[in-house]
Amino acid sequence: MSNSAIPSSTIRMEDASVAEFSWDIRSPIERALVVGPYGALGEAGVSLTEIRNFDLVQVMARRGKAAEMTKPAKARFGVAAPEMPKAVSTADATLIWSGPDQFFVLSKGGKHTTEALVQTFASSASLSDQSHARVLISISGPKGRMMLAKLSSIDLHPDAFPAGAAATTSMDHTSVTLWRGNDRPDGQAVFNVLVFATFAESLWHTMLDSAAEYGVEIGHSEDLA
Amino acid sequence: MAGAQTNRLDNGGLIDRSAPLNFRFDGKTFQGFQGDTLASALVANGVKLVGRSFKYHRPRGILTAGSEEPNALVELRTGARREANTKATTAELYEGLEAASQNRWPSLRHDVMSVNQLFAPIFVAGFYYKTFMWPAKFWEMIYEPAIRRAAGLGRAAIVADPDHYDKAWAHCDVVIAGSGPAGLAAALAAGRSGARVILCEEDFTLGGRLLSDGGTIDGLPAAEWLTRTLTELASTPDVRIMTRTTLFGVYDGGTYGAIERVNDYLPTPPEHQVRQRLWRIVAQRCVVAAGAIERPIVFAGNDTPGVMMASAMRTYVTRYAATPAKRIALFTNNEDGWRTVETALAAGLQVAAVIDARPDVSPAHRSLASRNGFTVLHGSVSGVDGGKDGVRKIAVSLTGGARAEVEADGLAVSGGWNPAVGLTSYHRGRPKWRDDISAFVPDGAPPGMAAAGAANGDFGLGACLSQGFATGAAAARDAGRNGNAGAAPIADDEAFSLTPLWHVAGKGKAFVDQQHDVTASDIELAQREGFESVEHLKRYTTLGMATDQGKTSNVAGLAIMAAVTGKSIPETGTTIYRPPYVPVAIGAFAGHHRDETFHATRLTPSHHWAAEQGAIFVDTGLWKRAQWYPRAGEKDWLESVTREVKAVRSGVGFCDVSTLGKIDVHGPDAGAFLDRVYINTFSSLAVGKARYGLMLREDGLVYDDGTTSRLAEDHYFLTTTTAKAGLVMQHLEFCRQVLFPELDVQLTSVSDQWAQFSIAGPKTRDLLKEIVDPAEDLSNEGFPFMGAREVALRGGIKARLFRISFSGEMAFEISVPARYGGAMARNLMQAGKPFGVTPYGTEALGVMRVEKGHVAGPELSGTTTAADLGLGKMMSTKKDFIGRVMAGREALVAPDRQVVVGIKPVDKARRLRSGAHIIPKGQTPGPDNDQGYVTSVCFSPTLDQWIGLGLVERGRERIGEIVHAHDPLRGEDYDVELCNPVFYDPDGGRQRG
Repeated sequence: MSNSAIPSSTIRMEDASVAEFSWDIRSPIERALVVGPYGALGEAGVSLTEIRNFDLVQVMARRGKAAEMTKPAKARFGVAAPEMPKAVSTADATLIWSGPDQFFVLSKGGKHTTEALVQTFASSASLSDQSHARVLISISGPKGRMMLAKLSSIDLHPDAFPAGAAATTSMDHTSVTLWRGNDRPDGQAVFNVLVFATFAESLWHTMLDSAAEYGVEIGHSEDLA
Repeated sequence: MAGAQTNRLDNGGLIDRSAPLNFRFDGKTFQGFQGDTLASALVANGVKLVGRSFKYHRPRGILTAGSEEPNALVELRTGARREANTKATTAELYEGLEAASQNRWPSLRHDVMSVNQLFAPIFVAGFYYKTFMWPAKFWEMIYEPAIRRAAGLGRAAIVADPDHYDKAWAHCDVVIAGSGPAGLAAALAAGRSGARVILCEEDFTLGGRLLSDGGTIDGLPAAEWLTRTLTELASTPDVRIMTRTTLFGVYDGGTYGAIERVNDYLPTPPEHQVRQRLWRIVAQRCVVAAGAIERPIVFAGNDTPGVMMASAMRTYVTRYAATPAKRIALFTNNEDGWRTVETALAAGLQVAAVIDARPDVSPAHRSLASRNGFTVLHGSVSGVDGGKDGVRKIAVSLTGGARAEVEADGLAVSGGWNPAVGLTSYHRGRPKWRDDISAFVPDGAPPGMAAAGAANGDFGLGACLSQGFATGAAAARDAGRNGNAGAAPIADDEAFSLTPLWHVAGKGKAFVDQQHDVTASDIELAQREGFESVEHLKRYTTLGMATDQGKTSNVAGLAIMAAVTGKSIPETGTTIYRPPYVPVAIGAFAGHHRDETFHATRLTPSHHWAAEQGAIFVDTGLWKRAQWYPRAGEKDWLESVTREVKAVRSGVGFCDVSTLGKIDVHGPDAGAFLDRVYINTFSSLAVGKARYGLMLREDGLVYDDGTTSRLAEDHYFLTTTTAKAGLVMQHLEFCRQVLFPELDVQLTSVSDQWAQFSIAGPKTRDLLKEIVDPAEDLSNEGFPFMGAREVALRGGIKARLFRISFSGEMAFEISVPARYGGAMARNLMQAGKPFGVTPYGTEALGVMRVEKGHVAGPELSGTTTAADLGLGKMMSTKKDFIGRVMAGREALVAPDRQVVVGIKPVDKARRLRSGAHIIPKGQTPGPDNDQGYVTSVCFSPTLDQWIGLGLVERGRERIGEIVHAHDPLRGEDYDVELCNPVFYDPDGGRQRG
């Protein structure tokens, strides 16, 4: 289930006593995230953007069916699912390695839902919806690497961690999936972090603390870049 | 006084005379310049006395100009930022700096405790061990506090540090410690080869000894070469230069610890910036170019203010244009010391005499002496006449036995140089002795590490450059970088001749370790008392155990021990070297992790809603959970919790239970897999049903419990306790990957995917009917006890509904995708309004589970079996499962095991407390008749009394027996009755209704 679609509230006419319920979606860091500048004044060294509207599905090959799983993946996405720590992007989805014979399908809300992918993979893979289980934060800016060096033990030098590199790692003792997306139009590298939802506010504050000295531009976006 | 820099030269030095800085030392205002250290500014102001010694409170001055300083320790800053034991020699001067001398009262010049000197004969090696032996209890109460007042270093700030620290990682091919000629040459070679280089320099200015000793490199004056080199390095890609950064430790896998003093040079860090940053540098290769430390010669009065290392004196004069004395003498056993004379003469200072311990002095030096009118004495300094105002006269024992006296106000000392062997020795490398320089040099360095230049025992400028360059190039090559390194910088080597001299016999105290007040006679005494091994020597005398870790004293101490035992120095050996190389603030190791950010925090999906309701939160592992929801007028937690329990039992309430671990178990063999990890059977569970399951550890004891539902043929949804969520996931992954790889099963944590609420109470169904699509059948027939399925909710989203009960009431648990968690709480409040819905917290949850006799953390204690918990019948006899065999061990099936039983006080008004021991009535409490203990208690609003659960020997056979509760911790003794643990609705009619 996409983590952004807001179902319209309804009043059932056949039952007059029924109240109106609205099922508004709230990002776990909606309260912590304050759009605008934070920290040191001047040109922001780090830009932090929460992406709010996405589907995230964990795809795990069933026993002995890793090869079989690649065919429907190729057919649906037009690219091979990564077999090592990499992230592969298509027009409307990113496939991110998450372990041996498993990967995430991250997509713009509604494009590749669990329900849709169940049909695609049939009995070759088990699927688990993680759309609400993670918060997605995109990090860029001239000091993005400096800030990430405080959180991650991974070498993010362009030679060691090029666009498309991915890692299942930890930040501030919190499990995350980290990958480098395509560079921004201005050439700045973009790092994406998927963090468990219940840890997200805590890690968000750590990120702000770590980035404050460089000046931060905080924003959120409905759309996956 | 400000402005009177009496000992500042008019010209020269790496100071900015256009940037004067005011500072205070012991309350008095002084002025220095940008580029000064606190020590150089004090020297420039003619301050000689800067501290009192640790044990004898002797007046002390500045001995060195670097991080090896044993004496010039100050309390830097005031209030919460006060930092004890800061070396004045490395503290960068800033406007408004405040420092105070240490270990003196009432003042530095008039220190009462200097009477300790009169008792010096008793403050010898092993003093504490000998004196404060008995009575033992006096140690904590009397001796230790008194000693700590009298002897010691600076005072800690006591209050919390207001500044922030952080930690960061860095990665490179080659990390270089030190930016002297060897380090810079290494950086040039490695950088040109294309390596990623990090150069760490603890000073705020790059250049090392080049800044003090100059020289000619590639035909250029050192300063010019330095500028050219730094320009080149700055423009070399991937060469990162970190000043104010000390590489302090070596760890496994090529990881190095470094401390960057980011903002120590400012009174307070700028907003949003940290004071210090701890670096973990991962490097393929390490070049140690940390230089060498000039060593003192031990003689009587060698701690008098005004006695200074010869190289330090050059540093103050050349780098800081500050003159430590007007008329100096030099005591040396080597050629290098003479450079101080040349520096002093060039600066216009008087040279009174050179005392040279070597048999020969070169004609060039003789001619220098005669040209400048000073004498050269063959012999050694045997005593110093002086005190807190500094050196006045120097007594000399001449070779051949005669004596002489030299009048001077400063004495430069050079006993040779010790390579800084710390980093190379941290993995138990033992440095080896080199006779030609009478010093230890690195040996057995950790993999990937090599020393170069002075750190390797090669002191000449030319050698430093060529060796640094070659080592840097080799390190880059080893890391796979093969670019053209070009040519090495070239310089001549200075002459180096040394005749070893460690200790000059004489009257009066001769200090080896000045920071810990260890004298040459202490070492001799330790040897006489049998503490000959260097490790024993160190601990018996405390030699080398101060904050400077004996940088200027260890080798001299070994040499003296060698002399009295008749062994050579290498035979005597060195103590083990351990990081950190310099003191590192604990705050830097903690970094971000302090106070509320001590650890990561997990928030439930309804956390912010609960906060709006005024919930009180409790820390449960990393979680914040709503503990209760106080209402206006309620006087304490018990009143709130009692109200919440009664509301649930009589109406309906809800509680966020999202903290339970949740795991998707997928695959054709999911049922078979669960059969092996649970003691009961899950493969037979029908789709749409939930079942309570219990897991054992391999050893047969209970691991965890929870309900698991079958949502599809090949999909189970498993829940764990909050506490074991992560551990159970790891355990199941281990089972899947290692124990049962033949099973086709896939596991995913979905703990964070679902917001899960327990809705409980007789009016639960009424509430649910409001929120669930009317098409869904919630009747007892349509949704029976232990049913589990997806339902549509009004408003268009789907939820999972589980008819399970922890409270013993008619109850459901409802799950929605987590981002709907806040909306779910609000909608439950809205839907439940007509029924008086009440949110409840973990306390009410706990009360109801005790009333219902459900086991939880205190009973799932890692020591109980399924049978102990009353769940023995769940253990299937038709299949194998983890823990089955070991659960059959004799002791685990013994009839007298402590098992779960209910407990209620005989006096109904009495409060129970968990932890009380159960003793048979009429017996004296003691370990022999201890039959168990109270595990969980609560005040039961339903029974209007305190009740509890306990683990009691043969408890189930003893229902109705009155036993004794003994609580020595709280001094309570009372009688209790053993009873059925299910206090409430024992036949379960309410939850099935």
